[in-house]
Amino acid sequence: MIRLVRAEWTKLFTTRVWLGILLGACAMAGGFAALFTGFAGRNGDNGQALPDVGTSAYEQAAFGISANATVLLLILGIIGMTQEYRHRTATPTFLVSPRRGRVVLAKLIAYGLAAVPIGLLVIATDVLVVEIYAGARGAAPSLSGDNLRVLAGAWAALVIYAVIGVGVGALLRNQVGAIVGALVYLFVVEGIVIRAIPAIAPVFRWLPGGALEAMTATLDDTDLLQPWQGGLLLLGYGLVAAVAGTLFAVRRDVT
Amino acid sequence: MGTPTTHEPVRIEVRGLSKSFGRVQAVSDLRFTVEPASVTGFLGPNGAGKTTTLRMVLGLERPDAGTATFNGAPYTSLSEPLKTVGAVLETAFHPARSGRNHLRVYCRAAGLPLSRADEVLTEVGLADAGTRRAGGYSLGMRQRLALATALLGDPPVLVLDEPANGLDPEGIQWLRGFLRYLAHEQGRTVLVSSHLLSEVEQTVDRVVIVGAGRLVREGSIEQLRSGAVGAGTVLVRSPEAARLAEALRAAGSTVIQEDDGALAVTGSTAAEVGGRAFAAGIELHELRSQTSGLEEIYFELTSGREQFAAHSPTSAIATSANANANANATVTDTTEAAR
Repeated sequence: MIRLVRAEWTKLFTTRVWLGILLGACAMAGGFAALFTGFAGRNGDNGQALPDVGTSAYEQAAFGISANATVLLLILGIIGMTQEYRHRTATPTFLVSPRRGRVVLAKLIAYGLAAVPIGLLVIATDVLVVEIYAGARGAAPSLSGDNLRVLAGAWAALVIYAVIGVGVGALLRNQVGAIVGALVYLFVVEGIVIRAIPAIAPVFRWLPGGALEAMTATLDDTDLLQPWQGGLLLLGYGLVAAVAGTLFAVRRDVT
Repeated sequence: MGTPTTHEPVRIEVRGLSKSFGRVQAVSDLRFTVEPASVTGFLGPNGAGKTTTLRMVLGLERPDAGTATFNGAPYTSLSEPLKTVGAVLETAFHPARSGRNHLRVYCRAAGLPLSRADEVLTEVGLADAGTRRAGGYSLGMRQRLALATALLGDPPVLVLDEPANGLDPEGIQWLRGFLRYLAHEQGRTVLVSSHLLSEVEQTVDRVVIVGAGRLVREGSIEQLRSGAVGAGTVLVRSPEAARLAEALRAAGSTVIQEDDGALAVTGSTAAEVGGRAFAAGIELHELRSQTSGLEEIYFELTSGREQFAAHSPTSAIATSANANANANATVTDTTEAAR
């Protein structure tokens, strides 16, 4: 198994996809952090003020902002799995490891572990921007207590989303379809449709988006799960997708 | 090319493989054996089921029935597949990855030292291109990289699907020599598919010919030559055909009177036929031996067997009806021989 995991790392780091994802995720976290800090304390269009620098609401929201980059880690995992089909390398891959479930497992491990340092760099960018910008505006947040817990939650979420990506890729096999499908689900289905229908809104806490919010929960939202519950739930989604993918998609004939 | 080592002899046995895609029966009850230390040509027209068969042999597609084994073990239960079987199927690389890194991925996965990547690149003549992106390779270079991938584990068995596709004449010449070297000098089992007999005729020791997913012929090149339709037939014309036929039959030959009056004689050489005619004082107008080339034999064996034959226009069916009849007769022959 360790051989297959190392083979996956070799695959990952011998093309430049990982670099694009890393830079994109850092830019996203840093950019959102800068925007959020810039608008902190100002009135929005609806007259509601955004929390000002120095408040714990601001600090936790600013540190949780890198969780937005989970979508890029999700795409990294999807590409990691689906590129085997897109570039037909599934053939040599399954020739080396005819037991295909082991390939999927190796990818889950390889991408989960690779996402650890990538996620760390992403939250480091977030912290850096927040500390400098908020510091300039008068109150650099401390790296302790709830702030630290939010950062840890965001980091874990980044890692778990890479694992989910591998699972989704195993299930759907088609790269473009899997990425578009995942984005539509996260931003349209969960982001708009489910929240817009009151009757099914309570379901949201059990969905990937709700679980992600739970991991970096900031706004005293009692509708959400505990952070650790959210993390486990997300991991569960990833593994269920991977197992289902192995059983129903990956084991199908490679043509 | 590395030190000549003798590899453990591994025999590939295909027994009753069948596979259908929807209503199309791609492979039907196919059975043949591939012997070690020889190059076996796996021949058949496009659509005859060659690639499907090879992919089933390699565990990439699941057969509806039947087995394919390497010294008794199916591919999927080999503990170190890359060290037993090397395969060249479609050329599959990530275009952004260099040839060398492509090979290193599979070194890692198979637990081989990374230095093997450079060794096989040298073996196939790609040492200079190893650090370039595989996406920029020519078709011939891709084939060489695929072959290098197959050689990584130094396996006793090589399975190659149309490896000559995209190679220039020089590359084909090189491939022929390389495959013979791998089989004859190193004792490997080499199975190489092609839809062109001429491409592999000079390379292979044995042939397995398939048509429409069924076995047509299996044997050595020599067996194919001698056992083929029309081989060793002598055609002779004479104004005294009946008397000549009688004389030849008396000498133990089989004589068939053709529609145009010529005699088709089997069991004698042209010289013997001429000698007997001379001895009997019979005038001859034509005397020639009718040995078919391998290419003709191959064509005869496989004609009308393409999957697409059924869908061709009526005129084509009419002209190939005769060939179909021949082909069907051959099927019966082989099935009987197999039992």
